[in-house]
Amino acid sequence: MTPHTRKRLNVWVVHALLGIWVIICLLPPVMLVAASLNRTALFRTPLDLLTFRDFSLENFQVAFTRGDFWFFFTNSVIISSAAVVITLVVCVPLAYGLTKISGRTRQAVSFGVLAMRFIPYVVLALPLFLIFVNLGLSGSRFGLLLAHLSIHIPFATWMLVGFFDTVPHELEEAGIVDGCSPWNLFWDVSLPVVRSGVIALAILVFIISWNEYLFALFLAGNDAQPLTVGITRFLGGTEAGAEYGIIAAYAVLVIAPVILFALFANRYIVSGMTAGAVKG
Amino acid sequence: MASRREKFTRGWWFILPGITLMVLIVGAPLAMGFYYSLHDVFLYSFRNQVFVGLENYRRVLEDPLYINALRITTIFTIGCLVIAVGLGILIAFLLNARQVKFRSMWLALFLIPFVMTPVVGGIAWRFFIWQQEFGVVNQVISLFGGDMRYWLLDRETALLATIITNSWHLTPLSVLVFYAALTTIPDELHEAGRVDGAGPFQALWYIVLPMLRPHILFVSIIIITSAFREFDMIWALTGGGPGRSTTVLSIFAYNRGIANQDMGMANTIAFTMFVIMATVAWLYITVYRRRFQEH
Repeated sequence: MTPHTRKRLNVWVVHALLGIWVIICLLPPVMLVAASLNRTALFRTPLDLLTFRDFSLENFQVAFTRGDFWFFFTNSVIISSAAVVITLVVCVPLAYGLTKISGRTRQAVSFGVLAMRFIPYVVLALPLFLIFVNLGLSGSRFGLLLAHLSIHIPFATWMLVGFFDTVPHELEEAGIVDGCSPWNLFWDVSLPVVRSGVIALAILVFIISWNEYLFALFLAGNDAQPLTVGITRFLGGTEAGAEYGIIAAYAVLVIAPVILFALFANRYIVSGMTAGAVKG
Repeated sequence: MASRREKFTRGWWFILPGITLMVLIVGAPLAMGFYYSLHDVFLYSFRNQVFVGLENYRRVLEDPLYINALRITTIFTIGCLVIAVGLGILIAFLLNARQVKFRSMWLALFLIPFVMTPVVGGIAWRFFIWQQEFGVVNQVISLFGGDMRYWLLDRETALLATIITNSWHLTPLSVLVFYAALTTIPDELHEAGRVDGAGPFQALWYIVLPMLRPHILFVSIIIITSAFREFDMIWALTGGGPGRSTTVLSIFAYNRGIANQDMGMANTIAFTMFVIMATVAWLYITVYRRRFQEH
C-alpha cells in the first residue's frame, strides 16, 4: 500500500465514522419530524415514514388545538425568560465581585459555589415541595422560577467567574488611572470584554430552563405546567401508540426552539460548554 | 494598603446581594431537606411531624429496595461515564483529523442530542428507536438476521437501553471539551509522532490521551454528577420499570415522596444522594488540586 492510497483510506474512514455518528445524533429528532408529517405513524417502519407517502400537516393542527399547547407554551416562555433575566442580573455582578476579592476568601466562596453545582435536583425538589405548600407557592410560576434559579445561580456564577478571569488586569488599572468609579470599571470596562460569554450563558440558561422537567413535575401543580409536562400529559391515554403522529408533532414543537439555538447559535453554546474545561 | 482595602470592599458590594440570594435559595431547601429527613412526615397528615432522629437513615440502609436503587444508579452512572468519555475522545480525535473540513458544521450537528429536551429525547427513543417491532434498532437487527428484542420492556435489557440513550444525550459534552482541548495540541507534536512512524491509533494512545488527562477528569465529573441525578430521561423511557430494573435513586425518592406520600423517607433518600455527591465533589477537588495545579 503506497502512502497515497493509505491517506485516501483514512479520509474515507474518518468521514464514514463521523457520518455514522451524525446519523445516530439526528435519528431521534428526524424520526419525530417524519412521524409528525405523516397522517398515520402507526405500524410503519422508519424508512417507510421517511418517504412521507401520506404527507399531512393534520397532526400539528391537532397538537395545537387539542393539547392546550398555548397554555403550556406561555408557562415555558415566561419561566425560561424570567430565569434568564434574573440569573444575569444576580450572577454577573456576583461573578465579577468574586474575581476582585482576595485569595483565601475567594477560594472558599468558589468552593461553595462549585459544591452547589453537585447537588442532585431531587434533593432540592422534595423540600421545596413542602416549603411551597407551607408558603402557598405550590403550583405557581413564581415558585417554579425560584426552583429553577436554585440550579441556575451556582452554574452561572461558576461559568462567569471563568469569563471574568480572562479580563486582563491592565485594562482595569488603566480605568482606575482614568478615574473610573467601581461601577464604571465593572459596567464600562470589564463587562464589554465578557459580552459573548454573557450571551452564551443566557442561551444555556434558557435551554436548561426550557428543558427542565423534574422541578415542574414536583412543583408546577395545575397552573404552572410547562411544555415538558404538557407532552407527558398528552402521552397519558395513548400508551398503545395509537397517536404517535400527534405526540411527535407536539414533541417537534417543544424541541424547535432549542434545536434552532443549536443550529444557529452553536458558537455561543460551544464556548459556554467548554468554558470551565481548561480551568476546572 | 488603602488601595488593597478598597479593592477588597469593592468586590464585596458586588457579591453580597447575589450570595445572599444563593444561600437562601439553595441553602434553605437543603437545610429543610435535612430537617425533614430526621422526621416522620406524611403528606396526608402534614402537620403531624414526629422527630425520629437518625431512624430514617437506619431504615433506608436496611431497605433492600434502597440498596437496589443505589446499585442501579451506580451501574447507570458508570455506564454513561464509560460510553460518553470513550466515544467523546474517539469522535473528537476523528473530528480533529487534518482532512476534515466544515468542522463547525459537524459540531453544530453533534450538539443536537445535548440540547434536545431530555423528556422528548426519551419519548423519541422509546417510540422510534427501541420500539419492539418498528423501532430502528430492531429493524437493523432483523436486517442482519438477528433476534428482535423487547428492549425497554425486558428486565434484562431495559437498563442497558437507558444507559445507551442517556449516553447519546451526554456524549456531545465530552466531544466538545475534548475537541477544544485537542485543537490546543500543537501540530508539531503530531508531526513528531508521524516522523517516528506512529499510526493513528498509536498517536491517539501515546500522544493524545496523556494530553487529555486533566480534561478527562473534568468531563468525568460533569458526567458523573449529571448521570447520578438523572430523572427525566429514564422517566420518559421506562418510568423506572419494568419491575424495578431502572429505578434509580431519583425515581425511588420521587416514588416514596410523591406517590407513597412518605416525605420523611424521600428526603432521607435524597439526602444520602447529596452526601454521595458531596464526597465525589470533595474527591474531585482534592485530586484536581494535587495533580494539575501544584506544578
